[in-house]
Amino acid sequence: MMAADDAGIGGDESDDDSGIGSRELAVAAALALAVVAATAAFPAVADARAAYEIPVERQSSAGDLAEPTGDAWTSVETVDVPMSSTGAAVPGGAETTVESVRVEAARTDERLYLRLSWSDPAANASTDSLRSFADAAAVQLPVSAESQPPIAMGSTDNRVNVWYWNAADGTESLLAGGAGSTTRVPESAVETRATHTGDRWTVVFSRSLASDRANVTDVDPDQDVNAAFAVWEGANEERSGQKAASEWYYLSLGPNEGGTIYETVLWALAGIAVVFTTLVTVEGVRRTRGE
Amino acid sequence: MSKTTDDAVRQADDAVRQTDDGDVPLAEGVDHQVAMVMDLNKCIGCQTCTIACKTNWTESGGREYMYWNNVETKPGAGYPRDWEEMGGGWDEDGESRTPGELPDEEDYGRAWEFNHEAIMYEGSDEPLRPMENADWGPNWDEDEGAGEYPNSYYFYLPRICNHCTHPSCVEACPRSAIYKREEDGIVLVDQDRCRGYRYCVEGCPYKKVFYNAQTKTSEKCIFCYPRIEGEGPEGEVRPPSCAEDCPPQLRHVGFLDDEEGPIHKLVNEYEVALRLHPEYRTEPNVYYIPPYAPPQTSESGETVDAERIPRNYLEELFGPEVESALNTITREREKAERGEESELMDILSTVNNDDQYRLEVFDDGS
Ligand code: SF4
Ligand code: SF4
Repeated sequence: MMAADDAGIGGDESDDDSGIGSRELAVAAALALAVVAATAAFPAVADARAAYEIPVERQSSAGDLAEPTGDAWTSVETVDVPMSSTGAAVPGGAETTVESVRVEAARTDERLYLRLSWSDPAANASTDSLRSFADAAAVQLPVSAESQPPIAMGSTDNRVNVWYWNAADGTESLLAGGAGSTTRVPESAVETRATHTGDRWTVVFSRSLASDRANVTDVDPDQDVNAAFAVWEGANEERSGQKAASEWYYLSLGPNEGGTIYETVLWALAGIAVVFTTLVTVEGVRRTRGE
Repeated sequence: MSKTTDDAVRQADDAVRQTDDGDVPLAEGVDHQVAMVMDLNKCIGCQTCTIACKTNWTESGGREYMYWNNVETKPGAGYPRDWEEMGGGWDEDGESRTPGELPDEEDYGRAWEFNHEAIMYEGSDEPLRPMENADWGPNWDEDEGAGEYPNSYYFYLPRICNHCTHPSCVEACPRSAIYKREEDGIVLVDQDRCRGYRYCVEGCPYKKVFYNAQTKTSEKCIFCYPRIEGEGPEGEVRPPSCAEDCPPQLRHVGFLDDEEGPIHKLVNEYEVALRLHPEYRTEPNVYYIPPYAPPQTSESGETVDAERIPRNYLEELFGPEVESALNTITREREKAERGEESELMDILSTVNNDDQYRLEVFDDGS
């Protein structure tokens, strides 16, 4: 997951190389340049996925993407997203149970599909009694697609959309500008399907890419969009700020599928570092030899 | 208690009850504060108030189990059962909230179905009774009380939301969906903002917020605000139904900061109307005249000089001030018995509704 950082560490290791001649220098420089060029020219390979990236697989038709167990999901890469409690100032705010959620993303030309799956031994699908709370999950997107609002429900001037599902009451689309400010967006365009099998919930959220109204994220298929995830365990009476939540990730929709400007910059920096350290090393060796 | 200590206590109390300039302290941002005084010596446990409230507000739609006004027997487990042991309220310095619990549904008692149909329309001669096993409900332990014959004792305690000055239900809500309204301090749940998290249910130490599993929101006593706003029967200003329908008319309703009114006199001047469980520190605005009972009797039926309701039990409920409140009432009663003037006894024994319900004093918009 930390491909960019790994590359950086690799560059540093050439410090230990000794006995490099001027021919080797030229080769090293050429190699380093090739790395930079390759990064810019080719999509990164799967295991070189950037930190916080959720690859979005483009599919020509929706097929059964809307189904939590749909075959169309087979080819989609899974990202294991670690979760932790938000420590919100509500009773039990630091006591959450879900530790990670598997996230997959796919799109057609019209719709975005997100499949979330997490371990939960028993489904809590009722809010029909005073002490029952439903299992729930949410996807948070910035209202303005390019921005990255504060992770805890955004802020007044940088708001978030929340696609919210719970096992008792279904789906809601919400708008928030800071904790406690959530309001419902009327006639939500978000659809969900959920299933609890074995000891896991699997929920598919989907929505048309384009938004038809103000304050609802307009997903541009050519541009990455930030996303964060949250899960509530009903059995543990989790609700509100008592939830397991992720950091900001991003759905990589941009032209450089699987790669980003951020990643390219890191690769480029790594390449330059390789060239630079090689030069310094060779120069050092030369001086030591008294050339 | 020596006179000096007495004065010191009174001064300390005054600091809480009235500010230096004599004003009654109200919650921040609140213009006036509605309040109610209930005289426990007059309650006959008839539950007319309970039914008046229920038919107005909680008959159906997920509210069947709710009694915004309930009347319970004390000593007793109350409604919901053992509510006094469920936490909520504030800690000693009144800064942080004490964690509270959600009651079990069984603690309220279910809204039983009865065999009305069979008896009324199908000619059945069974007794009228709940159709399911009923083993707990509101005031289930009616009249049990405590103590040994011939000195057993109990009294009734009508309870509504206290529309507290420092309400922990309000503080508990992360969405500010529950609030104290500016004009009169009535505590309301904004049904559009509420997302059914139930932190207020946990947070209220009196357990006077209720979760509606049908609407998925919390609901509570609204102090009959449409009635006090003039939308009562015949378009008049009326006190809350629980007060108006009470056969012995034991409630005073008005504003705590109406310094000419009976509530201010009972609470702040005579200090005979007390808060229930002041140690929860939510600063309730429903006050109680503590109950008297006949003295104890011996085996042979002779009257003995001993309190029937133990003082320490009353202190548990109403705090240490119960002592001086009861002394004041005794003193004033003796005055009245001697034929002397007693304003306190006049207030407590009035049969004039205009004196009991003073709801239009601030209507000039002050
Ligand atoms: S009695 Fe409970 S519900 Fe009513 S205002 Fe006080 S804390 Fe809130
Ligand atoms: S109506 Fe009055 S007397 Fe009857 S239970 Fe209620 S408060 Fe007591």
